[in-house]
Amino acid sequence: MSRQYNPAIDAYKNMDIENMPADKKEPAGTGLLMRKSSSEESGLDVSNPLIRVAKNMQVIRQYRQEAKDANG
Amino acid sequence: MLTDKVQFNAPIPGESLTAELGGRPWQTPPKLATVDEAIDYYMERMSSEDFMEQVVDVLESGVPVATIANTLQLASVMDGIHTVDVGTLVVPVIMEMMMLLADSADIEYKTGLEEEKEEITDSKIAKAVSKYKKSVKESDIAKPKEVETKEEPEVEDEPAGLMARRK
Repeated sequence: MSRQYNPAIDAYKNMDIENMPADKKEPAGTGLLMRKSSSEESGLDVSNPLIRVAKNMQVIRQYRQEAKDANG
Repeated sequence: MLTDKVQFNAPIPGESLTAELGGRPWQTPPKLATVDEAIDYYMERMSSEDFMEQVVDVLESGVPVATIANTLQLASVMDGIHTVDVGTLVVPVIMEMMMLLADSADIEYKTGLEEEKEEITDSKIAKAVSKYKKSVKESDIAKPKEVETKEEPEVEDEPAGLMARRK
């Protein structure tokens, strides 16, 4: 195939989604003094588009794994 | 391959600047400004039956996932759907989605992430040989071979004539 530089390869390889910190799920509180969000505590900046891309990738990869397991 | 016809259909330098500014789709504001919008757009597009069948066929024919994904996002950039930077950010999701389609269809495919083994072709061998020959010639010119001349001990010819002195 072509030996031309493909930025998609580097973009994919640089997405280190395996080592991404997972979101901490706090028990849902109903009080007025409950904390609003856990995203800042877990170190994930959701306003960063790269994080959102990584999260999408994580979900799709999970489906992939399930498809692989189903196919054997 | 050499052909009889000489092709002069390459663009002239500066030809891309001859169109009116803003006349091309990629010179206008993109339809999808954010990464999330772009992801939604690709997800919807890739979920269609036609797309799935086409992608699986192309992947089965040996075209790597990375190549198709990059082509797809570049085409969208050219159509003015999103910008180049949004395309670059979204491309891993496109690749992952394509791999999901391929895994679901249970086909063998190339991701494009594999390390390419360097093939040893005839042309490479010929090039290496010519390079070696050239280096050998250059070293010959630089260092002329010294002809070894052994100094043979001078052997005096013994006179063999009738008038020679006897030892």
